[in-house]
Amino acid sequence: MVLQSSLKNCLQLSCIFRTPKAGFRSTTSGGLIIQSVSNDVYQNLAVEDWIHDHMNLENLRVLFLWRNSPAVVIGRHQNPWQEWLLRQKNIKLARRRSGGGTVYHDLGNINLTFFTTRKKYERMENLKLVVKALKALRPKLDVCVTERYDILLDGQYKISGTAAKLGRTAAYHHCTLLCNADKSVLSSVLKSPYNGIKSNATPSVPASVKNLFEEDPSLTCEMLLDAIAEEYATQHQIDHRITLINPADETLLPGINNKTEELQTWEWVYGKTPKFSVSTCFNMFYKDSVLDIKVDMDVKHGRIEDCNIDLPKQWLPPALCSELVKSLTGIKFCPNETTALVTTLLRVCPQDDELHSRWNLLCENVIMLM
Amino acid sequence: ARKFTDKHEWVSVENGVGTVGISNFAQEALGDVVYCSLPEVGTKLSKHDEFGALESVKAASELYSPLSGEVTEINAALADNPGLVNKSCYQDGWLIKMTVENPA
Repeated sequence: MVLQSSLKNCLQLSCIFRTPKAGFRSTTSGGLIIQSVSNDVYQNLAVEDWIHDHMNLENLRVLFLWRNSPAVVIGRHQNPWQEWLLRQKNIKLARRRSGGGTVYHDLGNINLTFFTTRKKYERMENLKLVVKALKALRPKLDVCVTERYDILLDGQYKISGTAAKLGRTAAYHHCTLLCNADKSVLSSVLKSPYNGIKSNATPSVPASVKNLFEEDPSLTCEMLLDAIAEEYATQHQIDHRITLINPADETLLPGINNKTEELQTWEWVYGKTPKFSVSTCFNMFYKDSVLDIKVDMDVKHGRIEDCNIDLPKQWLPPALCSELVKSLTGIKFCPNETTALVTTLLRVCPQDDELHSRWNLLCENVIMLM
Repeated sequence: ARKFTDKHEWVSVENGVGTVGISNFAQEALGDVVYCSLPEVGTKLSKHDEFGALESVKAASELYSPLSGEVTEINAALADNPGLVNKSCYQDGWLIKMTVENPA
């Protein structure tokens, strides 16, 4: 079912990708199924952007199949500080351009993107197609679509979540499907930490999840992808062959590498966060005393706009405190930048061990909020 | 007079300032708006530029400028009450105000 791109296929694809305005003339009669050879979340999200921006979908529909190595993906208007707890070194954080909530991807999860013109945007139909494919594969599977556009297993476990983006003329609906993802990592990274954040960013709705593999250990991601592609081809009466594409191929997808880079910038991932405020009180333990600290910050475009730190009087020299607050204003709400800043500020302080250790303790606590 | 684009944004110009919003058809199609992403005051827009997005039921729907001009005001009420776009798309649910480069 899955073929390496034949030369003919490649040329057809080039035709579609390079002459979007010339309309679509091909034997694949109005539909295309493509699968990414990459597991990089940024590259794959860039493919979605590219198709949305450059392909003429007037008489064409596209199904894009992709999987990512471990990544947390937040929605367009979400707050990453609110959504994920553990910054693990081998888990990437990405912000997609569609709405909705936060999801965890790994190779045990498959992603499906349904591209159409804006007029033919139809999420329910797409999800029913997926359910039909699953039932064709395993007739006894108890799967159904909810009003919230989730797919549930056994009436209670979420196995798929949906999000969408509507552009000027094109639209896409994408969804996940849990086959054999690592649920322990999923639940540990999607914990919502309470750290005093107040914002109107779109919140995630937590759900109990389950892998299809748990229901039927004979199921693999490949089987699911094939079944869904087959059902898509049948329903839309198109060629059932899946064309592999390389998201790094600048010849096939001119401009794709710029899109990939943009998705990885701090400005996109963190800077696009809707304005929020942090307001928190905590105890700091220093030698034999317990200190009450209050921190208030307004963060806009990921940068600290306004900052206030309430400390017990004279615990640190007031001039130093106000210097800290002043310097924090305008920098990124980011542990690395803040660490660099406070280290620099410390250098201009008198060499006083007591002072240094108090300063370090305070700054560590402030940085932990980020 | 309120003019409509084919994408269901409307614009109403008075004294050189255009107020932009979305039509009733558009707000109905969107469903309940939960978030409005609007540009900064001072942003210069060309006709058809993407100037923001509305999010509803997990779909981010882009907004396109019906005019060329500069953003002078954004509807701050939408931050806490994005549902105004649904309840009053022609009045309280306006999105941005902008100067008009080519009154036409």
